[in-house]
Amino acid sequence: MFEFVSQFAPWILQGLLLTVEITLFGVFLGLGIGTLLAIGDIYGNKVAKGVIAVYVEFFRGSPIFVQLFLAQYTVPTITHIPIDPYLTAFLVFGLNSAGYQKGYVKGAIETIFEDQMDAGLSTGMSRAQTLRHVILPQAFRIVIPSWTNEFCSLTKSTAALAYVGLFDLVSAGKSIAHITYVVLPVWLVIGAIYLAWITGFTKLMDIIYEKKKIPGIDLLMQ
Amino acid sequence: MTDIVMEARNVYKNYGKLEAVRNVSMQIRKGDIKLIFGPSGSGKSTFLRCMAMLTMPDKGEIYLGEQCLTKPGVDLNKARARIGFVFQHIYLFRHLTALGNVELALRQVLKLPKEEARARALAALKEVKVTECMNKYPNQMSGGQQQRIGIARAIARNPDIILLDEPTSALDPELTGEVIDTLRDLAKEGTTMLIVSHEMPFAREVAEEMIFYDEGSIVETGTPVHFFNGPHSERAKKFMTRIINRTTRE
Repeated sequence: MFEFVSQFAPWILQGLLLTVEITLFGVFLGLGIGTLLAIGDIYGNKVAKGVIAVYVEFFRGSPIFVQLFLAQYTVPTITHIPIDPYLTAFLVFGLNSAGYQKGYVKGAIETIFEDQMDAGLSTGMSRAQTLRHVILPQAFRIVIPSWTNEFCSLTKSTAALAYVGLFDLVSAGKSIAHITYVVLPVWLVIGAIYLAWITGFTKLMDIIYEKKKIPGIDLLMQ
Repeated sequence: MTDIVMEARNVYKNYGKLEAVRNVSMQIRKGDIKLIFGPSGSGKSTFLRCMAMLTMPDKGEIYLGEQCLTKPGVDLNKARARIGFVFQHIYLFRHLTALGNVELALRQVLKLPKEEARARALAALKEVKVTECMNKYPNQMSGGQQQRIGIARAIARNPDIILLDEPTSALDPELTGEVIDTLRDLAKEGTTMLIVSHEMPFAREVAEEMIFYDEGSIVETGTPVHFFNGPHSERAKKFMTRIINRTTRE
């Protein structure tokens, strides 16, 4: 019943690779952009805050499939600039994740912001230096658990890639089921692969969280 | 050349209807130790924060030496690098060790090379006698140790003046002594200090001038002897009686 696993192993691996790549890249790009958005939302003027709010609502409020579709088909049609579909997918996942991560980072910054900013300024550091050396290092520690959740949900969102013609884990499953007429075992195997990868990665994140904990503080977020 | 280290001229700061600072002026010369005291909520901390430009005054001028800090376009970070500030609630950088707390500004602000920053930070920790905690994080230390690290962080840059905002009032009574000892050492070395505090025995010992502050302004100024023997204003009299009763009860 599970013979397809060895027969189609290259497809499954290829699909898994894309899923993993897009998720990891998306989470990292999302953290970078999300952090900038969080800082902009805290420091920025009304216009900046407005733009950031629209950005966040768009990426959180619409299905990632629609975002992928727009980026993959509509944007190139309008601009007449062909973009590599993989690059587009990487960017959409990063931008989408940033919409969520902005909230996590902002929340974390706000729990530590006031006294630590005062302390930094009082030593002669600038706001930017205090953010970089005092506030963000603490905020990122607080964000790790939310980041783990973001990773789980983004991993599963990559299933949308199948609908814009990219070969992720779900595309691999569809193709195999189509050829072999074996359905349930295929999806059980695909599901188990997601489960194993996500479980392994979250365990790793838990270890990092423990290692990065500030000694003497059990829970930063009180 | 004057020897005025810091000066406040007619400073005002309001929070809505609350007038925290109302036309306050003050001069601090090199080597001065001045102590501001008065009822809580009267605006003493706000005034001290205005001096360090951590809170922007609504009106009036703050001078650091000859430089006016309240003019637009002043590099406040550079100015703050010359002012040490010690907070009531300590505010150590929670993710850094004691040594890291003191080193950070030496590296980032004074741009000292690693070894030199380390040596200066160690010297500052030695001065406040907490070298045994140098590799501990803030939450692994007692309040008194933390506040002494806070003082080390403020003095490590060799600032022109140190502003201390109730440095002992957040500590358990048995821990205030060690912080007071540290401040006494600094006083002996001739450090210029403006201290908000209610530690009367300490004030009597080191302060050259005491400033009674109430409802946003300076009510009365004088030597410790003046305040302990009998201040002129009713409000200062009442406050001194209350505080001395409390101290003797303890």
